[in-house]
Amino acid sequence: MAILLTILFLPLAGAFLLMLVNKKEAKVIQYTALAISLATFVISFSLMAHFDSNNPNFQFIVNIEWIKQFDAGFRIGVDGMSLLLVMLTAFIAPITILSSFSAIEKRQKEYYVMILILQFAMTGVFISLDIFLFYIFWEIILIPMYFIIGIWGGKDRLYATVKFFIFTVVGSLFMLVAIVWLGSYVGGTVLHNDAGFTTNFMVIQHALDNQPIPLDIQKWIFLAFALSFCIKVPLFPFHTWLPDAHTEAPTPGSVVLAAVLLKMGTYGLIRFNLDLFPQASFYYAPIISTLAVVGIVYGALVAMVQTDMKRLVAYSSVSHLGFVVLGIFSMTVEGIQGGIIQMVNHGLSTGMLFLLVGMIYERRHTRDIAEFGGIARVMPAFTVFFSIAMFASVGLPGLNGFVGEFLTLFGAFNSPFLNNWSYTIVATSGVIFAAVYLLWMFQRVMFGANTNPQNHALKDISKREWALLVPMVVFIVWIGVYPSTFMKVSENSTKALVNKLYEKKFGYKPYALPASTQQKANIKN
Amino acid sequence: MGIELQYLLPIITISFFVVTAIVFDALLQNKIFSFVWSIIGLIVVIGTASYTFVIPSLELMNLSKEGLITKNMVFFGGYASFFDIVFAGAGLMTILASRVYIKREYKELNEYYSLILITVSGMMLIGHSNNLLILFIGIEIMSISFYVLAGYFRNSIKSIEASLKYFLLGSFATGFLVYGIALLYGATGSLDLNIITSNLIAGKFNHIYFLLGSGLILIGLSFKVAAFPFHQWAPDVYQGSPTVASGFMSSAGKAAAMIAFIIVFKHILPAVNNPVLIKDTHLIQNIIAVLAACTMLLGNFTALAQTNVKRMLAYSSVAHAGYLLIGIASNNSTGWTGVLFYSVAYILMQLGAFIVLSVIERNEQSNLELSDFAGLSRSHPILAALMAVFMLSLAGIPPFAGFFGKYYLFVSAVKADYVWLTIVAVISSIISMYYYIGIILQMYFKDPRSVALEADYGLARIPLFIAVAGLVIFGVFPSLLADVAYYFF
Amino acid sequence: MTLEYIPLVFMLVFGFGIATVFMYLSEILGAKRSTKEKNTTYESGMTPFKTARDRFSVKFYLVAMLFLVFDIEIVFMYPWAVQFKQLGSTGFIAMMLFIVLLLSGYIYVIKKGALKWD
Repeated sequence: MAILLTILFLPLAGAFLLMLVNKKEAKVIQYTALAISLATFVISFSLMAHFDSNNPNFQFIVNIEWIKQFDAGFRIGVDGMSLLLVMLTAFIAPITILSSFSAIEKRQKEYYVMILILQFAMTGVFISLDIFLFYIFWEIILIPMYFIIGIWGGKDRLYATVKFFIFTVVGSLFMLVAIVWLGSYVGGTVLHNDAGFTTNFMVIQHALDNQPIPLDIQKWIFLAFALSFCIKVPLFPFHTWLPDAHTEAPTPGSVVLAAVLLKMGTYGLIRFNLDLFPQASFYYAPIISTLAVVGIVYGALVAMVQTDMKRLVAYSSVSHLGFVVLGIFSMTVEGIQGGIIQMVNHGLSTGMLFLLVGMIYERRHTRDIAEFGGIARVMPAFTVFFSIAMFASVGLPGLNGFVGEFLTLFGAFNSPFLNNWSYTIVATSGVIFAAVYLLWMFQRVMFGANTNPQNHALKDISKREWALLVPMVVFIVWIGVYPSTFMKVSENSTKALVNKLYEKKFGYKPYALPASTQQKANIKN
Repeated sequence: MGIELQYLLPIITISFFVVTAIVFDALLQNKIFSFVWSIIGLIVVIGTASYTFVIPSLELMNLSKEGLITKNMVFFGGYASFFDIVFAGAGLMTILASRVYIKREYKELNEYYSLILITVSGMMLIGHSNNLLILFIGIEIMSISFYVLAGYFRNSIKSIEASLKYFLLGSFATGFLVYGIALLYGATGSLDLNIITSNLIAGKFNHIYFLLGSGLILIGLSFKVAAFPFHQWAPDVYQGSPTVASGFMSSAGKAAAMIAFIIVFKHILPAVNNPVLIKDTHLIQNIIAVLAACTMLLGNFTALAQTNVKRMLAYSSVAHAGYLLIGIASNNSTGWTGVLFYSVAYILMQLGAFIVLSVIERNEQSNLELSDFAGLSRSHPILAALMAVFMLSLAGIPPFAGFFGKYYLFVSAVKADYVWLTIVAVISSIISMYYYIGIILQMYFKDPRSVALEADYGLARIPLFIAVAGLVIFGVFPSLLADVAYYFF
Repeated sequence: MTLEYIPLVFMLVFGFGIATVFMYLSEILGAKRSTKEKNTTYESGMTPFKTARDRFSVKFYLVAMLFLVFDIEIVFMYPWAVQFKQLGSTGFIAMMLFIVLLLSGYIYVIKKGALKWD
């Protein structure tokens, strides 16, 4: 449908438009980019309005023939799980662009082109219904991100960006092998279609539902996909690129990296690993959950000893994403829904923290915690916003973080797949650690005596910065107080997935879905 | 007979232009004439080849193959016409990019353009061959012109070294090729590839000679594509030769040798239920697969250690021979079509990258170190962007054509149950990322060096534009090319 | 099938055998008288006046190669002339093509000065 195509291609069109503008017209470039991303955000509301949350299947499906020989098509569509992430992307993009006005000073034209291409590809990742298309969007993201970190990043940007690139590529190329194998298996061995190959997601989903891949092979395919996603998330032993990339990226780059890019990994885990390889998921769930729990604790502990604020927030991401993965691999409705809402939360609260750290960095050109103290006196509004973001991140009831963390922990606690309380118990300690490192940092930066003379005359936040932070606070509070606006969207899609998992493992479907929508979507193409 | 001449038109026109170009070289001293004449020639060849592409095939015309002048030694239409267009196009791009480079770096000589024409004619003959002798003649016409092209800068020691090395090793490999052809003839009783196939299927062949002959042909052709372990000449030759010419050699020359690979191995490895033959087929396929794996790994690992961009691209071209060999090892139509697609993409990106090098090269190969590229995006943003596109495409990052070519080859390998080969290919791709993005890193993230590079495009703008446009168009809409290539095999 | 090769085997055995035997017979039975003339390089009876291991002009090679090209042409011309009537127009066209190609090569060679000695 036209809405989805508009949301996808408007940023790309914008990028081409910007290429035509003279690079000296910095203001024109900035406001054009902002206008385009805002327009996309506004249009994305009509997506929300037309979305039928009773229907667990894909909606707004567009299916255009593309490469006949491999049955790869331009197939896009959203269901409840991806819709929230599409909205998140559309929401974060204007924030990113607005925050770039001050953060990016050189080569502006290239920068805004890159950001818009990035938005195009991120949206594409979440709405692809064709694995080949998904892979293409997944890889395209590398190019703008590589440049954003490499050109506009901090001191060690070269190291960080190459590390980011190589880590991601290692994962994604193995995923490519798995995609090729999957396409050849489903198209050739299962369906015997004309091409002997298919990457149509819904066809593969349906085919594997009836005829799962033999378990010993399924495990390898699962691992190939999971490796790529876990590097992106990042799950515990694969996380080392993240602190470097986050720290060295420019503020908007960090925001978009934390808010959206990491979600691609967790989204992939739900969309592909759980859905297509359920048997292997049961097999690997304890291992991945263990890694997630280790990540929660490890990320928190390492965050505690950081002296650089941005690095601290980066490590807190490792910890927070651990909750998401734990929720996903609990394979319960609470866990997965909690995971999805936690993805959005993390995007909002960590994105906001990065913005705030960026603001103070622009004023002082340092992020060293020891350089600060008593900021609350000179920047009261800043301190308030910081505290909101921090409490959201810690998981204070009434703010969004609590909803997500509670649900994921609840899901993991109740999960018949994990069947073990200890994950939850250890993971809960991560919440406490989060309180420790964030509050400690807050105290050291905001309170105490303002002894450093350079901190005496800091300006409080400007109007533009208000415009950045207020929308985020709105959503943070909204999700915290009334999460069901968002939970409702993904509820039925999640239930359908969980039904499938329960049926494969225990032979029954625990949830009844609205009757009219139970039949399979049109999977002809 | 008249109809057959229509099919032969591309060959006839290229021969005509080759001969006339040589005569004009001798008679006229005006270089611009030779340049224009070769361009006209190649455009006419592209036109005639497009014409043979659209007229109905020989089978549809109901012509008996025995009645032909060419006695069924030459193949018409289909992939042959396709490659006529590709090779002539590559020659055209090379010639357009060469003029400013040759004029600047050395004294311009007439023979350069006619040599490119001769090379193109040899490549086209390879594509048209339906008989091992024609194939051999095509390969030799191409190779001998390459030996001369490599040594074209006769005052440069490196160029002469490249030429001599290429000639000695090349003629050595030719020996293997001829010996292999002879043994294959002995084993199957024919030089006609179709008869060889039918004899093989009928079981009328000598087992040991067949294996020996195919093995020797494999060695000979591996040398021509610079596959492991016959790749040692490639870096020195590609580095020493004139930059544009080595771009042409390493892209179109490689593609032509890959066509030879397809033509030979498609016919001597038929898919039939003859138990002896199947065993042999699998053996040869496995050998090719191992060669492909070693070539990819070795090429990429060695490229990693290079600081000279030209030499790095030379090693990367070794690695790409490995990727292309995947399609041969798979021995199915997806593989051959994949080789076709990847050859086109590879010609565009490799030739493009070498043309970029030729634009900034000065005084016999200076300005080609990796550090010379530092900050290129500041001084020459367009050139840097072009180079970045070529590098990303060589690395196999979507949405450029290089990615889809790799995807094609991976699919063919998985279809042929060579999953391990795909994994090796993926690992070597990961290795290659490091040096490809290393160039981008230099161009975009490093500060410019003190003395800014000069860039002197001349007519090289046209081939650069063609290359980038082709890579993007075939990358986003691969069907445009893949659907055409699909019906050939 | 193997029987067909027996004459070949005989030929090889006898060929090698006779050559070897005669070589060694002459070595054993022949007279050995070494004189100064006998030890000099053989140059068709002329007295050698300097060492044979000397560089000489590349033009010799060039001429030798060109000679080969125009020499080989006779290999095609002669049978064509003998079979002129039987080969008919096809043969005529083919031969004309061949001669034109050769002629253009000849023009190139002359114009490039490959046959000039100085």
